[in-house]
Amino acid sequence: MNGKDLRPRDISIMGDQLTQLTVADLKPLPAPFDKPEMEPGIKMGKPEWAEKYNAHLDGFIAIDNFKRPQTKEEEDELVQKFLLGVEKMLSLDTNAGILQALNLSMEYCAKCNTCSNACHIFEATGRHELYRPTYRAEVLRMIVKKYFDKNGKLIPGGKKGVMVKFVGGDIDLNWQTVARLGEAAYRCNLCRRCAQTCPLALDNGLIAREIRKIFSQELGYAPIPLHEKGTQLQLKTGSSTGMSKVPFLDTVEFLDEDATDLFGEGVTEYKTPMDVEGADILLLHNAGEFNAWPENPMAFTMLFQEAGLSWTLSSEICGYDNVNYGLWYDDAQARKVAVKQNEVAKKLGVKRIVIAECGHAHKAAAIFADRLYPGKDRVPVQSFLPLMRDLVLSGTYDIDPSRNDFPVVLHDPCNYVRQMGIVKPQRDILKYIMKPGHYGNMGLPYYEMKEHGVNNYCCGGGSGFAIMNSMNFPAFRDNVAHRKKLSQILEAFGPELMENTDVPKYICAPCSNCKGAMRSIIEHYELDRFNVHYGGLVELICNGMTKYSTPFMEFLRDE
Amino acid sequence: MILTLICWVALIAFIGLSVKKFMAYGSMPQHGRQDLYPIPLESDEKMHYGGSYMEEDKWYEKERHHNLKGEIVDMLVEMLFIKKLFVNQNNFWWLSYSLHLGMYVAIAWSFLMVFGAFLPGILGTICVFLGTVCGIAAGVLMTVGCIGLLFKRLFVKEFKNYTTPQEYFNLFALMAVSVSGLLVWLGDMQFEFGRNIARAMFTFQPLSNFYADGVPVMLTVFIVLLAFISIYIPLTKLSHYVGKYYTFHKVVWDNEPNLPGSKVEANILAAQAKPKDPNALKWGAPHWNETAPAKEEQK
Repeated sequence: MNGKDLRPRDISIMGDQLTQLTVADLKPLPAPFDKPEMEPGIKMGKPEWAEKYNAHLDGFIAIDNFKRPQTKEEEDELVQKFLLGVEKMLSLDTNAGILQALNLSMEYCAKCNTCSNACHIFEATGRHELYRPTYRAEVLRMIVKKYFDKNGKLIPGGKKGVMVKFVGGDIDLNWQTVARLGEAAYRCNLCRRCAQTCPLALDNGLIAREIRKIFSQELGYAPIPLHEKGTQLQLKTGSSTGMSKVPFLDTVEFLDEDATDLFGEGVTEYKTPMDVEGADILLLHNAGEFNAWPENPMAFTMLFQEAGLSWTLSSEICGYDNVNYGLWYDDAQARKVAVKQNEVAKKLGVKRIVIAECGHAHKAAAIFADRLYPGKDRVPVQSFLPLMRDLVLSGTYDIDPSRNDFPVVLHDPCNYVRQMGIVKPQRDILKYIMKPGHYGNMGLPYYEMKEHGVNNYCCGGGSGFAIMNSMNFPAFRDNVAHRKKLSQILEAFGPELMENTDVPKYICAPCSNCKGAMRSIIEHYELDRFNVHYGGLVELICNGMTKYSTPFMEFLRDE
Repeated sequence: MILTLICWVALIAFIGLSVKKFMAYGSMPQHGRQDLYPIPLESDEKMHYGGSYMEEDKWYEKERHHNLKGEIVDMLVEMLFIKKLFVNQNNFWWLSYSLHLGMYVAIAWSFLMVFGAFLPGILGTICVFLGTVCGIAAGVLMTVGCIGLLFKRLFVKEFKNYTTPQEYFNLFALMAVSVSGLLVWLGDMQFEFGRNIARAMFTFQPLSNFYADGVPVMLTVFIVLLAFISIYIPLTKLSHYVGKYYTFHKVVWDNEPNLPGSKVEANILAAQAKPKDPNALKWGAPHWNETAPAKEEQK
C-alpha cells in the first residue's frame, strides 16, 4: 500500500505485506552521498519468511521469535492473548508504575502531528504514514476504544454500533493487526524527541514501549538479541555478551597489561581494582566495551588511576555489565537486572555507582530504577561525566590540546542528554582538551551537530536497534533509522572536509549503543573511505595527555 | 426559569466534572520517572540549555533548589501562548491558537458580563465596554479557528486520516457555540444578553424577566449549546487543560529523586505497605514470575 494513503485502520487488512519501503522513498542524503550510486540498497527478506514469521508489516523482521500462526485456533489465541495483554497494560494490578503517564498519552492526543516533524524515522522514510509516531499509538487507541470500557476492563467481542465508530474505535482486530502492531513498535527508537515537542507532552515512545511490553510480558515475543541473548543471558552468565566471570577477569588483566605496555612508559603499571570492598566508586561498564572497544575501559582505568580515585570494578553477576536491555521492552527483566546491580554495589559497600559510557545504562540505573525500592536501600547512581569534567577542569591531568588537532563531532546520546539533562560536562571537557582555532564550528574547538544537546537526534541504534542483527532488521536500521544521524554528521563536517581523506575525522559518541550505531553507519555507508573514525570521550582525554608519548588514538599512530 | 437552571447546571457540571477528572488523575499511584529536558524546575542557567542536577558530581549530596519562577513562567507561556506548538509547528499554531485564544477571551467575557451586570458607575461601564470587545473577539477568533481546523482536518490527508468523527463533532460543536453567540450579538450589539444571563443566574430569576417579548429564540439556542459544550468538554479529551497539568508537572517535569527521607521514598513505602491482592492480575509470559538466579551460575 502507498505510504501516503495508509490509514491506521488499514493495519487490519488481511493479506501479505502491508507496505514496502524503497530507496526512492527515502529522504536524500547530503554530499557526498547525494549521487545515486552512493546510496546502498535496501536488503529485503526472503519471500518464504512470510510463511513462518511476521514479515507482514513492511517486510522487515524485528521480533525474530514470533512464529506465524498456522491454524485458525492459533490466530484466535494470538488475538485473545493480545487483548489480555492490553487489559493488563491498562490495569493498576499489573502496570501501576506507568499508568498515569500512559493514560494521559492515550486520552489526550489532539492529532496535531507536531510529533511527526520531530521524528527522524518518519523524516527518513519520506514521511511514510506507517512510520508516523502517532500511527501505532492511534492503532492501539482504536483497539482500546473498541474492546475496553472506561475502567480498562475487556469487553468480550468488543463494542458494537455507531458510537464506537463515532469515538474512533473503527478497527478490525485480527491476527495480522496484532502481529503488525508488534512489529510497528520496533520502528521507533524510543528516543522521545516527539514527546519533547508535543504541546501536551504526550509520549508516543512510551506507547511504543507499552506495545513491546505486551508482546514480551504477555505473549512471550521479543527480539532474541534483547531477551534470550540479552537480559536472560545477562542474568544467567553475568553479561549480555555471554562473558562470564573468568573470561572477564582475563580480559581485564589483558587490558591492564596492554595499557601498561603501551602507555606505562616503563614507569607506571596500570591495574584495574577488582571487587574492592568499601571503595568510593563502583564503576559499571557496558561489557560490550571489553570486546568491541577495549580502549574505552582501558582509558577509564588509566584516568581513574592517574587521579588516585578510590574505585573498583565488580566480577559479580551484573556487576561488570551495566546494560539493561529490559529498559527497551520488558519491566520484569529491567527490574531484575537493576536490582542485581544495586545488590552488587551494596554487597561491596561502595558509596556510589558511576555509570561509564553507556547511555541506556545511565537511564536504566539512575532513572528507571530510581523508584523501584525505597531510597534507603539504593546505592546512589551518577554519571561518569560530571566526575570526569571536574577531574579534567581541575587540572588533574596535564593536557596538551594540540595533541587533539583533528576534527571531532559530538553526538549526544538521548538517554542521558534529553532524558537526564546531562548536557554540559561533555562540552566543558571537549572545550578543554581540543585544540581551538583549527577545526570546529559555532566558535568551538569541535563540531556541534545542527540539532544538538537536548534537541539532538537519536543515532538510530536506540532501544536495541544497535544490537538487533538478526533476519533483515539491520536493513531497516541502516537505511532508515541511521539516516538522520548520518546526515547530521555529513552536514557538521561539510563536504570539503568529508572528501579530504588526509584528515582523520572522529565521531565522539560517549555511549556504547551509539558507538554500535556509528560502527553500523561507517560499515554500511563505507565511511572509512573518507577517513572517518568513531569512539568515546575518555579516549580523547587520554589522547590529550602529555604523559603519554604514544597517541592514544590508534588512527594517529605511525604504523 | 428553565434557562437559568440550565446555566447553573452547566456551570456546576463543568467545574465539578473537571475537578473530578483532576482528582482521578491525581489519585493515581506514583509512576516511574519520565524526565524529559529541559525542565524549568532547574536553575535558570540549566533550564536554558536543558541541564539538570545530575550534571553535578555526587548530586545526591547537594541541596536542590526548585526554580519556582522558572516553573511558573514556563507554565504560563505554554498555557497562554501554546509555545511548543508555535515553535514546532508554526503553521498549525495560527489556527489552533485562534481557537484557544478565542476560548480564553470567552472566559474573560463571562466574567466581564457578571461584573458588568452588578458593578455600578464607571466600573460597570468599563466592563460593558471591555465585554463588548471581548465578546466580538471571542466569537470571531473561535469561529475562525474552528472553521480553519475543520477544513484542515477535512482536506489535508495527514490530518484527515487520523481524525475521528467525534473530533469533527468537537470542532463543529465549538463552532456552533461561537456562531450562535455572534448571531445573538447581531441583534444585541453590546452583549446585554450576557449580563441578563448573569443577572438571572445570580438573582435566581427566570431569564424571561429581562425580556418583555420573551427570550429570543437565537439566545435560547446559544444558551442550550453553551450549556451542552460546558458539560461535554470535561467528559472528553477537550479537557486537556486537566491533562496538560499532569503531563508536564507530574510526568515529564517530575525529576524528584528517590533519596532517603524524601516524599518519593514515602510514597514507595506506603505502596509497599498495602496488602497484596491474591486475585490481582499477573502478566502471562513465563519469565515474568521468574526471579533472577539466586546463586552465581557462571561457567
